[in-house]
Amino acid sequence: MSKKIAPVLASLTAAALFLTTACSSSDDSPDSGSTAGNEKVALTYWSWAPNMDKVVEGWNSTHPNIQVTVNKQDGGDPAVTKLLTAIKAGSGAPDVMQAEYQKIPTLVSADALADISKEAGSLKDKFPAAAWNSVTLGGDTVYGVPQDSGPLMFFYRSDVFEKNGLQAPKTWDDYAAAAEKIHKANAKQYLGTFSASDAGLFAGLAQQAGASWWGVNGDSWTVNINDAATQKVAAYWGGLVEKGTIDNKPMYTPEWNAALNDGSQVGWVSAVWAPGVLEGSAKDTKGKWKAAPMPQWDTAAPATGNWGGSATSVTSQSKHPKEAAEFITWMNSDPAALKLLAGTANVYPAANDATSALTTPPAFFSDQSDFYSIAAEAGKQTKPFTYGPNVNVAYSAFNDAFGKAAESKKAAAFTESLATIQKATVDDMKNSGFTVAG
Amino acid sequence: MALTTTLPRSTTASVAARPARKGRGGVPYAFLAPGLLLFTLFLAAPIVYAGYLSLRKVKVSGLGLGSKSRTEVWAGLSNYSRSMTDPDWLPSVYRIIGYGLIVVPVMLGLALLMALLLDANRTRPALSSFARIAIFLPYAVPAVVASLLWGFLYLPRVSPFVYALDKFGITAPELLSSSWVLYAVANVAIWGGTGFNMIVIYTALKSVPTSLYESARIDGASELAIAWRIKIPIVMPSLVMTFVFSLIATLQVFAEPITLKPLSNTISFTWTPLMKVYRDAFVRNDIYSAAATSVVIAVATFILSFGFLKLVGRRAFTQED
Amino acid sequence: MTTIPVVVKKRRTSTTATMLLLLGAAYCLLPVIWVVIASSKSAGELFSTFTLTPSTHLFDNLADLSGYRDGLYWRWMLNTALYAGVGASVSTLVSAMSGYALAKFDFPGKGFVFNVILAGVLVPGVILAIPQYLLLAKIGLTNTYWAVLLPSFISPYGIYLARIFAAAAVPTEILEASRIDGAGDWRTFARVVMPMMRTGLVTVFLFQFVAIWNNFMLPYIMLGNDKLYPLTVGLNGLLNQGANQPSMYTAVVTGALVSIVPLVALFLTLQRYWQVDLAAGGVKA
Repeated sequence: MSKKIAPVLASLTAAALFLTTACSSSDDSPDSGSTAGNEKVALTYWSWAPNMDKVVEGWNSTHPNIQVTVNKQDGGDPAVTKLLTAIKAGSGAPDVMQAEYQKIPTLVSADALADISKEAGSLKDKFPAAAWNSVTLGGDTVYGVPQDSGPLMFFYRSDVFEKNGLQAPKTWDDYAAAAEKIHKANAKQYLGTFSASDAGLFAGLAQQAGASWWGVNGDSWTVNINDAATQKVAAYWGGLVEKGTIDNKPMYTPEWNAALNDGSQVGWVSAVWAPGVLEGSAKDTKGKWKAAPMPQWDTAAPATGNWGGSATSVTSQSKHPKEAAEFITWMNSDPAALKLLAGTANVYPAANDATSALTTPPAFFSDQSDFYSIAAEAGKQTKPFTYGPNVNVAYSAFNDAFGKAAESKKAAAFTESLATIQKATVDDMKNSGFTVAG
Repeated sequence: MALTTTLPRSTTASVAARPARKGRGGVPYAFLAPGLLLFTLFLAAPIVYAGYLSLRKVKVSGLGLGSKSRTEVWAGLSNYSRSMTDPDWLPSVYRIIGYGLIVVPVMLGLALLMALLLDANRTRPALSSFARIAIFLPYAVPAVVASLLWGFLYLPRVSPFVYALDKFGITAPELLSSSWVLYAVANVAIWGGTGFNMIVIYTALKSVPTSLYESARIDGASELAIAWRIKIPIVMPSLVMTFVFSLIATLQVFAEPITLKPLSNTISFTWTPLMKVYRDAFVRNDIYSAAATSVVIAVATFILSFGFLKLVGRRAFTQED
Repeated sequence: MTTIPVVVKKRRTSTTATMLLLLGAAYCLLPVIWVVIASSKSAGELFSTFTLTPSTHLFDNLADLSGYRDGLYWRWMLNTALYAGVGASVSTLVSAMSGYALAKFDFPGKGFVFNVILAGVLVPGVILAIPQYLLLAKIGLTNTYWAVLLPSFISPYGIYLARIFAAAAVPTEILEASRIDGAGDWRTFARVVMPMMRTGLVTVFLFQFVAIWNNFMLPYIMLGNDKLYPLTVGLNGLLNQGANQPSMYTAVVTGALVSIVPLVALFLTLQRYWQVDLAAGGVKA
């Protein structure tokens, strides 16, 4: 080989060596596989909640032999995609994973989660039945420990309501009337928007009305996305959009942020975690918002749904499932950890005794001392809802179908969309070989 | 690397066209080895693997909840038939054709126009280098970031255009509504691609000796006529190549619509064929259908690109000499 | 004099030409100007003041961006520089060797090899990402720097360009002369061919550098640890925080501005290399 090429190669080799060291120092040290004795165990943890590394510091400082590293993810969907790809590939998954409740059947079906019933089975009584059911899928296997929940609540601009002589809506009829009144008084103002990109919120609204989109009947799945309760919800929102009393643009866009901030959007059907979002999106309106229980279909039987919320699971690729289970048990049930979760990671813990950790209202709602009692009440009224193994298929079909419907501003298009989603979901399950009833 | 041998251009041109030298034994293969090895590992193998995956599928039994309830089996061509009969497939193909009919001519037309204008302003170096850098600048902006920036400029409440038009009492069209969204996405691509293509064409123009125009000028030909009769024919080979690369980019449009998608109701998950691949693979976790659609897109790309080159009879893509 | 009308006409064309050029430049600069202005606004102003009115918060925003998770943004910047720098360097060397072999040698299978590499130019990255992930996972390299670097070492487009440059810039006579002088093939390549192709290789390097700098899909799939992210993936993460987090628009806008600064600087300093003749083959220095 030429002498002249040698320096080039040498510098490349140097670069490569630098990389090797960079990789081994920054990347998680590989699990040795042995857990005996005092040997240190390193766990990786994928989460997208903010400041989760600070929560984990609380564990790391007291557990020198089980050190956890947080890898922050881009959100629930990308994290699940990456996990499923890693499971398919046979390596690359973390030890511990934040998993939204609606994704758990998908992950279980892909054999991505480890059974931790031995280590965490006794926690059952520390969580609301609905949350516990989400991590066991109704069986004896435990696929994770509930971390946070997101009961639906209603948020509104109290100054705008006052100006229009309105009260917080008790029923959905009240909501419709308030929406109309506000928009009539000021054509630029809307009480809300129908967001076709947030299938999770719509599922929560259907849940409130009594729907459960999937179900297990013996050895087969049932799919009921086009049922009467969901039809009612779709027709209701389609009606409001057709009338033009609420907006039809998606949420979580710069446009929506601007609308919240400049007072064009004066209400938001959201969940307990909304204050964090409003604080970031609508800074200028601080002190003008109030939280209220959800408008109801039937005031005699108050109900609510869920939007967001997640569990913490051990993945099937973890070489240290025992230590991982120990960590997630601590994080989601230890009083000190719950305090950290609520205080620094801004989540609404699912554990029953979390209420003690939540005494002062969130900063953006500092005047509303009953914030967390409204939330606790909503949590108790959350209706049961079962998710299926292909939630992503249904949700992406929702996006496309309701995107078109919202754009057309026709109530009929809203209700027709449900049939499209139902068909896409059932077809996908049948194609994969799931037994689907009906 | 201080040694730079600048050869007279005439020598370069005449010698370069000569036949290459005979390889002695394994020498050319030794030079090719790293390239071929990397090509095999990171391009060929994944493509073959995608082809394999497109013939497989996962079979679930019963509720599909226990471990071991999922097995991978041969699927024959069922992934292909499912992909091609998907009701969203054909609309996405038509959409990409419409998109290509906007992007390619407008982008290349603008690139050619700007290149000709730069050439005509050669006597004013300050102006022409400012314009050249400004127009080339978008090439430095990643498509994801470019789409985000344009997204802000499209949305009525945050857009300066809408604000300005509003001041003149004009209601601006909603650029992300169903009647405009195709142009809105096309604009991002045109913005990002014009500068690069302009540079390619301008480079070709610059290599033309000015003496060629002078005689035409003396004969009284207008600048337009010179551009049309002399300059454009000279840059034709470059235009052909930029056309092929633009065509490929069009078929692969993905980053722009996927970034703009959350901002509007009008961009569906299957808005372009590659977005459908993305949806199947990353949203629906069905890499098998995604692989089948990928294979179809790859084959279509080959046919179109090579077919076009064959049609125009250029051999820029084939072995020279 | 008969030349007067010609001169007048020429001046008019050139005024129109200037106007059109400036219009084109304005179109291309507008979003860039917008991002510069938007980066100077506080979170509240971003959504309340007129979009083209600058404000005074640029340094606050930069400080906020730097403060995000202990300066993670700058780590992304370094990662990106590493991916693009090392990836483009290796890729350029590989391309130069392959391009030289394809342009200057006759050997069995040459046409086949070249056509296969050309076909590689046409394959979109999105299609490759998953199979690449699955294959790299088999050797345990996902979620490391290598996962992003290794696939970027090969660039069919770079080989294609290098072949054009080698064919145009390296006269066969010189190779013969070098051989008669008794220089070995590697020596000839390193001492004669590489210097002659220098301008072209810088262009190949720049192409690949920009391509890696702007790449999103490959690192997005390959990496789970955000300490390894390049800028594109990191910024995307700031934008999509999941439903229960507000998008960090101020950080995203400021981050977007900062992320294009190095590339713009690279363009300005190396602009003479951005002269590519795709068809005739050759870079005019």
